[in-house]
Amino acid sequence: MAIADLPLLTITLLIPVIGTLFVFFMKNEDNAKKLALIFSLIPLGMSILIWSLFEIGGGYQFMESHTWIESIGISYTVAIDGLSLPMLFLTTLLIPLSIVFAWDTKKRQKEFFGLLLMIEVGLIGVFVSLDFFLFYIFWELVLIPMYFFIGIWGGPRKHYAAIKFFIFTHVGSVIMLLAIFALYFESADMLGYATFNMMDIATVSPNFSVAFQGAAFLALLFGFAVKMPAVPVHTWLPDAHVEAPTAGSVILAGVMLKMGGYGLFRVGITMLPDGALEYYWVMAALGVVGMIYGALICLAQVDLKKMIAYSSISHMGFVLLGASTLNLIGVAGGIYQMFSHGIVTAVLFMMCGVIHHKTGTRDIPKLQGLITKMPQASFILIVGFLASLGLPGLNGFVSELMVFVGAYEAYSILIVVPLITLAIGAAYYIWTMQRILMGDFNKKLGNVTDLEKYELIPLAILVVFIVFLGFYPNPLLDVIYPAAEAVLGGVVI
Amino acid sequence: MTWVEFSYLIPIIPFIAFLIVAFFGNKMKEGGAPVTIAAVASTFVLSVLVLFDVYQNGSYETSMNWIGGTGLEVGIFIDNLTALMLIVVTFVSLMVSIYSLGYMHDDPCKRRYYAEIALFVGSMLGLILANNFLLMFIFWELVGVCSYLLIGFWYQKPAAASAAKKAFLVTRIGDVLFLTGIAMLYVKFGTLNFVELEHLMGHDVQGLLLPALLLFAGAVGKSAQFPLHVWLPNAMEGPTTVSALIHAATMVKAGIYLVARSYFILEHVPDAFLIIAIIGGITALMAATMALVQYDIKGVLAYSTISQLGYMMLALGAGAHAFGYTAGMFHLMNHAFFKALLFLAAGSVIHAVGSNDMRKMGGLHKHMKITSITMLIGSLSIAGFPFMSGFFSKDEVLSSVWHAAADNNIYYVLYAMGVITAFLTAFYMFRLWYMTFSGEQRDKSYHPHESPKTMTIPLMLLAILAAGAGFSFFFGFQDFIYFGHAPHVTIVHMFEMWQTWLSIAAGLGGIGLATLVYYKGSISPSVFTAGPGRRAVRHMLEMKYWMDEVYMAIAEKGVYGFSLLMDKFDRKVVDGAINGISSGGIGLGHASNEFDKGVIDGTVNGLSKASFKGGKLLWNLQSGRVQDYASVMILGVCGLIVLMMLTGVI
Repeated sequence: MAIADLPLLTITLLIPVIGTLFVFFMKNEDNAKKLALIFSLIPLGMSILIWSLFEIGGGYQFMESHTWIESIGISYTVAIDGLSLPMLFLTTLLIPLSIVFAWDTKKRQKEFFGLLLMIEVGLIGVFVSLDFFLFYIFWELVLIPMYFFIGIWGGPRKHYAAIKFFIFTHVGSVIMLLAIFALYFESADMLGYATFNMMDIATVSPNFSVAFQGAAFLALLFGFAVKMPAVPVHTWLPDAHVEAPTAGSVILAGVMLKMGGYGLFRVGITMLPDGALEYYWVMAALGVVGMIYGALICLAQVDLKKMIAYSSISHMGFVLLGASTLNLIGVAGGIYQMFSHGIVTAVLFMMCGVIHHKTGTRDIPKLQGLITKMPQASFILIVGFLASLGLPGLNGFVSELMVFVGAYEAYSILIVVPLITLAIGAAYYIWTMQRILMGDFNKKLGNVTDLEKYELIPLAILVVFIVFLGFYPNPLLDVIYPAAEAVLGGVVI
Repeated sequence: MTWVEFSYLIPIIPFIAFLIVAFFGNKMKEGGAPVTIAAVASTFVLSVLVLFDVYQNGSYETSMNWIGGTGLEVGIFIDNLTALMLIVVTFVSLMVSIYSLGYMHDDPCKRRYYAEIALFVGSMLGLILANNFLLMFIFWELVGVCSYLLIGFWYQKPAAASAAKKAFLVTRIGDVLFLTGIAMLYVKFGTLNFVELEHLMGHDVQGLLLPALLLFAGAVGKSAQFPLHVWLPNAMEGPTTVSALIHAATMVKAGIYLVARSYFILEHVPDAFLIIAIIGGITALMAATMALVQYDIKGVLAYSTISQLGYMMLALGAGAHAFGYTAGMFHLMNHAFFKALLFLAAGSVIHAVGSNDMRKMGGLHKHMKITSITMLIGSLSIAGFPFMSGFFSKDEVLSSVWHAAADNNIYYVLYAMGVITAFLTAFYMFRLWYMTFSGEQRDKSYHPHESPKTMTIPLMLLAILAAGAGFSFFFGFQDFIYFGHAPHVTIVHMFEMWQTWLSIAAGLGGIGLATLVYYKGSISPSVFTAGPGRRAVRHMLEMKYWMDEVYMAIAEKGVYGFSLLMDKFDRKVVDGAINGISSGGIGLGHASNEFDKGVIDGTVNGLSKASFKGGKLLWNLQSGRVQDYASVMILGVCGLIVLMMLTGVI
């Protein structure tokens, strides 16, 4: 039996499940992180294996489908394509890196690392499910561990932040669920049988009436917009980030926000092309407003972590703008942006954690001259900032360029409005660099040391990705392009 | 086998040197300087070989696919223009990196310096060799980052940190517009390759004005043209070698190079030429006036650089028919030599004096003869003293503008501005030279000495070129660098034109006036401030036409003020609305008398009402027990199944 015939996706999904249980119920608290690391490295290995076996442009692959609750058309269907593969890889990469980064966590280690693995289960599940029922279960499953993560290991206002996070995203989920049911019932009429299978629904959903598609699309968009998040339903994000522990922020911004974008491409545009064509302008408006609004608010921030949180809002606006173009390069750019933002923002939140940990503060005015004490950390922070502001040669540029080219095709010279973001983005990052890295070291910060090994390793790995993908984005783009074509399959302009 | 086939090594060698110095520089002599110098020297040798190849065999291109499916590629394109730029950049880089041995000898961060210089040289060469606009833009941004890092090299100094930021942000404005132009070209033509675009230009020249101007906007930022010139004077906070290399001889020329490279687009949009010429003319004159009142020796040279860059832009704006292309690139080459010389000589002076302030100098000629004489040669060259290199190129620039005036009268005005600039240039350069080297030492607190050989030898080599490079125009340059068809100018022909005599008069006039004021003392400098009108003009020049103030107001009051407002809006209005909704939840909460913990709980409860239709369940949820949550989900699923049964789906 060839490797490809094994149920690879199920194995990838099950290993963190087993890991969660093991870590939760193990006796020796101190070994929790080691066990968790092992259980998170296996899915990483699996996703690399899957990537190597993946046939570019081959549509859904590694499919497993088993009937589950036949009477209402629920099945266990998992598969992967060019849209979900980068997301799967991103998830399985960031989880072990976060575990390493959180190596010196002292408080309730078993729960901490167990919950991280549980989040991984939910995230992998969302990206591989092709059955709405399964998709929704995983979608909600992600919330619970993250809620505890913020609530237990968070900062001073952790309870407020955790609950706000939960309520916001849950309201979004419920509205999304309504849309899913609408699709379920509407497709049942056309198909002649009721099913939650996404592929089956997708065969008929483009034929739904424009009015129905439009309404369903808006409902889905609301759900995904909360998750991404888009202005004005974004206010949970800064609070959640400010209070969350670093590993939580990394996963939250690095992968969880991408669930919104993923849903938009996988469900919104693919299944409801007429709805997307009808309301592309809503996506464009949300995207552009988010980009500029987020960037402007970044300029005003005093808390480094809050600034990075708002920059995520700004950068996820690129995803929405790319999606709204409904052309190949724009959509592919949006998908690429999800991946590259995941990598870059992970670096930025980790660096935030390092700085807070070493100096005891995240207040930009109190930090000064860190280069002298933390040259390695400063170098990585500079690379992260430059990648985030879209410097060519680093991965953020590739996706931004693609989105802008797509947007120029779609909106012509109007793109100067979102382009302002690039200037503001440079302003807040460069200004922050001047304030926290340059100048004389602020002696009040005490004895500050450079990166620990367990901090350096994950950061260095991510920096390698940033530089490599900046110069050579092909491995990723080759996978994404056919997926973008598939997303646009039903869109006829 | 030809040498051009190895041209890909030209940017790669400095990049490898960068990595070696960055990682192992601390273990090497002088922080890794020999590695950087050797790398730059080998790029110079390769560039010379490439130049011969191109001279014999014509242009060369090689490329490979970069981003699959988009037609975007990584490649090298070498034609005459590229070959010229390669020689200029590698030669000046070599001189500056050798000079650095002396100048940076005592700096504790030499490793970082030589690593960043190597990175810069590699990026700059990549920019020149790129075969398409996107690749050019990538390196364009990389040189920008190197410039940022090197301006902020002494990052502990607040002025340096702030100058670095300013340089990055001001040029970024141009870069964003440049990128927009690139996106427009790509969408219109489906390629960004220079050669392919040139072929496509023949068929479709509609709607090119906007992309052409957007490309030019990138050049305005990078080459410090009005109104984005404000970053360059501050950039002098970096080491003087950096000023010489990046902010005088090479990187700031990237904008000029971009305009020259885009000539095949510009020739279809004559209006763009006019705008380029006007911006260039304004920049040249305005910057020259600001140089008049500087006391900082590097400040004079910085404004002079802006002014001379304006000169090049003015020439390029004269258009293809008037040989502006040849004149502009010729001036670029000469300026690279004499301005690098002037900066390095100024660095030698600063090295000896320990200050940039010319008021503390004076009488240095007796102490540092080599510096003094080489700087005199540089000053004569830039002032347009007959037969020096600056004389020929300045004359070609003015002559091309005069030719362009045959089609459009505005060029007469620009010509006059150019002549006035020539006069002012000669004046401020000799003001600088006399204040520094002649008379008596005004501040006796230091003991000047000549710089070491590592510094004076590059000065002498550059001085030879600053003096003699001008003759190259008649021996090959004009037949090598041209657009359309080559100009045929002879020395004899030059001196038959009254315009040549006018520009000689302007240069000698400036030198003469400076001599009277700052050497002979027969005219007191106070004549420039006699009377309220003159004082007002002087004040305006010292305030740099208040442009920094205007930009600061826009940035601080405008953008930053607006961002503070938006932040407040976000917290009070957007988030407040959420909390407002939750207030409604509090009312309901009171009714059931279960939740009464104020806004925080209210937030939860208000919204959860909508989603769960029951406070009790939520109360359990808040208790944080997973099983409660799971039971909600199971209840929900059960409800759905019932619903589906009722509607007859199952």
